[in-house]
Amino acid sequence: MSNLLEIEHLKKYFKSARGTVHAVDDVNLTIEAGKTVGLVGESGCGKSTLGRTIVHLQESTDGVIRFDGKDVTHLDKKQMLEFRKNAQIIFQDPYSSLDPRQTVQDIIQEPMRLLTKDSKAEIEKKSDELMDIVGIEKRLRLSYPHELDGGRRQRVGIARALALNPKFVVCDEPVSSLDVSIQAQILNLLMDLQDQLGLTYLFITHDMSVVRHISDYICVMYLGQMIEKTDKKSLFDQPLHPYTKALLSAIPTVDIDAQPERIQLKGEINSPIDPKPGCRFAKRCPYAQHCCHEPVPLTEVQPGHFVACHRVKEINQL
Amino acid sequence: MNEKKESAFFSIRDLNVQYKSGAQTVYAVNGVSFDLAAGETLGLVGETGAGKTTIAKSILRILPPHAVKKMEGQVLYEGEDIFQMNDTELRKIRGHQISMIFQDPMTALNPVKRVNEQIAEGYIQHHHCTKAEAEKRAEEMLELVGISADRAGEYPHQFSGGMKQRVVIAMALACSPRLLIADEPTTALDVTIQAQVLDLIKRLRDELGTSMILITHDLGVVAGICDQVAVIYAGRIIEYGTKADVFRHPTHPYTIGLFGALPDLKKDVERLSPIEGLPPDPTEQIEGCAFYPRCERRCEKCKSYRYEPTRLSDTHTILCCNPAGEGEEK
Amino acid sequence: MKGNRKDTGSLKPGSLRYVWRKLLRNKSAVFGLTVVCVLIVLSLISPLICRYDYRSMDGLNAYSLPSAEHLLGCDELGRDILSRVLYGARYTFIIGILSTAIAAVLGIAMGAVAGYFGGAVDSALMRFLDIFQSFPMLILAMAFCAVFGTGIDKCILALGISNISGFARLMRANILRIRNMEYVEAATSIGCPTRKIITGHVIPNAISPIIVEIAMGISRNGLASSSLSFLGLGVQQPTPEWGAMLSSARSYIRYYPHMAIIPGIFILITVLSFNLIGDAVRDILDPTLKE
Repeated sequence: MSNLLEIEHLKKYFKSARGTVHAVDDVNLTIEAGKTVGLVGESGCGKSTLGRTIVHLQESTDGVIRFDGKDVTHLDKKQMLEFRKNAQIIFQDPYSSLDPRQTVQDIIQEPMRLLTKDSKAEIEKKSDELMDIVGIEKRLRLSYPHELDGGRRQRVGIARALALNPKFVVCDEPVSSLDVSIQAQILNLLMDLQDQLGLTYLFITHDMSVVRHISDYICVMYLGQMIEKTDKKSLFDQPLHPYTKALLSAIPTVDIDAQPERIQLKGEINSPIDPKPGCRFAKRCPYAQHCCHEPVPLTEVQPGHFVACHRVKEINQL
Repeated sequence: MNEKKESAFFSIRDLNVQYKSGAQTVYAVNGVSFDLAAGETLGLVGETGAGKTTIAKSILRILPPHAVKKMEGQVLYEGEDIFQMNDTELRKIRGHQISMIFQDPMTALNPVKRVNEQIAEGYIQHHHCTKAEAEKRAEEMLELVGISADRAGEYPHQFSGGMKQRVVIAMALACSPRLLIADEPTTALDVTIQAQVLDLIKRLRDELGTSMILITHDLGVVAGICDQVAVIYAGRIIEYGTKADVFRHPTHPYTIGLFGALPDLKKDVERLSPIEGLPPDPTEQIEGCAFYPRCERRCEKCKSYRYEPTRLSDTHTILCCNPAGEGEEK
Repeated sequence: MKGNRKDTGSLKPGSLRYVWRKLLRNKSAVFGLTVVCVLIVLSLISPLICRYDYRSMDGLNAYSLPSAEHLLGCDELGRDILSRVLYGARYTFIIGILSTAIAAVLGIAMGAVAGYFGGAVDSALMRFLDIFQSFPMLILAMAFCAVFGTGIDKCILALGISNISGFARLMRANILRIRNMEYVEAATSIGCPTRKIITGHVIPNAISPIIVEIAMGISRNGLASSSLSFLGLGVQQPTPEWGAMLSSARSYIRYYPHMAIIPGIFILITVLSFNLIGDAVRDILDPTLKE
């Protein structure tokens, strides 16, 4: 299959009072059409910024974004609208991502009114179809977001993202504010939509079990950098980076007979402001040595399994 | 639910809490009872709006009085009913015998006070000691939760989220309470930090012999830390048992549904099986079982169900009139 | 909740009609609205219903206490206090409403511009407004009166100008808050042009807290107008403005306290009524207080 999205050396820096925040620092990523890539990491690791930079909600500082074979790093107004039709985003918070003064119908129809030349009747027909697809009852057409529960609101957000028939959707923690039983409904919906419409997802989350369920490939980010990248099976069966191992061992599991042996990490995530060269995880890493202060590239350790760690071979006895 | 222990260390009997909301009544807690033995940890699990936090807050009587319409039942701490206590007696219990950790460490600390002062505050009140003694105690507590004593004089904003939650825990434990109520203590934290904090809570609980009520929506957290589990739905404990009872043999259709809705870290499943529908509107009083509309095993009996508990074993009780029998579980 | 849903559910939360419906179900707001309406109506028809003209002097009845003839008594020149108080209500309302309108219109415009464009525009506008804010409102209004002279129109202008910075700050803060909401980002992601984002998503959502400020502003400015008149800077005698009435009564307060107490009570209940309305509006618009 061809790659729908290719990102090379993408950087996104912010100026802050205390220095430059390296929110996304030299990230490479390719996503095959029709697949789901899961992007995991803890708060502040830059996963949301990466997603937003890809769909041009923020402009990148440096690097190249290619979409469907075309360079989309810098777009003029007309190209941007064309790009927006193809690349959409579903937001984390179904409470703040819907305008409280728009009805469900307004929200779903707005993208079509703005970006298509369809007639009013066509738009109305399409929005009814979308409500069907995402499972919102038609009687709620004229309801306002505050009258809906979290799950339904998130369905409205999904319908809005799908209104322009995009090929690619960034899902930015779409289920993390929902209760377990509702979360499962939305995850199933997203997977069904992918099958029906052939969507490609970049699925951003901090929840390892969710990412395992929905993704084909998984990327782990730490402080703005990609530290491990591989298919789902090898990541969960054989995580190679010490951070990934710790992350996986930290997840509370419901299996009371097999509580994981925790890998304790020292301290907390350090600041992404003007980071020193070298492995950014070194400060918390149980295996850190002197060599870890050298810059560390993401290298293919096993076929299709990329890891950014100097000592990966020793640690894993490869 | 289990009446066997005559004078448990801590128990709640038939707790009912209703809130006012405009002209309507919110039925938040509808007849909750449980016992907690000294040194044990009970996990209260449930989804948003199930009534978990209301139960916790009514134990210490810290619900906002203007919002509460009705608060009935008994909260027995060593045989004494907290609901009958006067303010002086209550103040002796709060913070000293029973203390609470709140969900959000960002708002639980006073931003303009040094952390050692905040930890010392409660200690001075209950021990009538000097400020210096109390601050020494605060430093001990900080060391205990893994924060170096040099940082005792710093302000909350100088700490990260996980460190703040450690400070909150130090505050709650400063007076060596016998019962700790932790309301979603790790929900606001990242996974690796959550693991650290949970391990800390577990270690301190074992070292100090504190009993604990842990409130969470995360079944995984319960599995790691609790002895007893109570699953709450629409203000009622619908399944109660030991950890092994509930995690090995979940029997109430809602509990089974919760497990089914969780994406698994080890098994591959094509589709998750969500619980269809939504939790009931808490302003409506429901005839029969509140889970009825979402239940896969619903039948005619459920409509007139009066919440007679079904005992599955000495330790395991459910509120369901049509549970799956042996052999057809899950 | 179910019951409310029927009445207000179909209305936009924060829209004027939504606020109005909810307001009618709030007891203290209804009280406030009733008092304000009754006062306005009485003031308008006072020349028709009052037995005495508010200007006519009756030397024989000077300082007279409330009686059947003069229900609220007479002032030092024998003018009927009831007629004067009722007639005078219009000045308090006119000054309160017009000066708030001036402040709101200018303040909202300046705040919106400063908040949305940010950067140098923001700094310039806000520093300019800081100058106004560095003086207490009443002192500033006094300075204006001193420059422009006294009278109702100047009083309105002075109070209006001195209130601009409050509205501008509030509007700017709201715009800044809403600019960071995810739905504004969502609008960008579906290709909504900047102009439409501002007019369609940002401003409508930023405006509702302003409604509260307007209700409070009317009461504050009504009170301030009385203060200015009391100081002799606002409405001048013989126009029966409440503050001016208080001012002239203060020399006689030891012997004829009713001359001061009556306009004082009217000021009190008017301010109270507007505050009740403002409080109710704030409760309605604050989503954290809902349910």
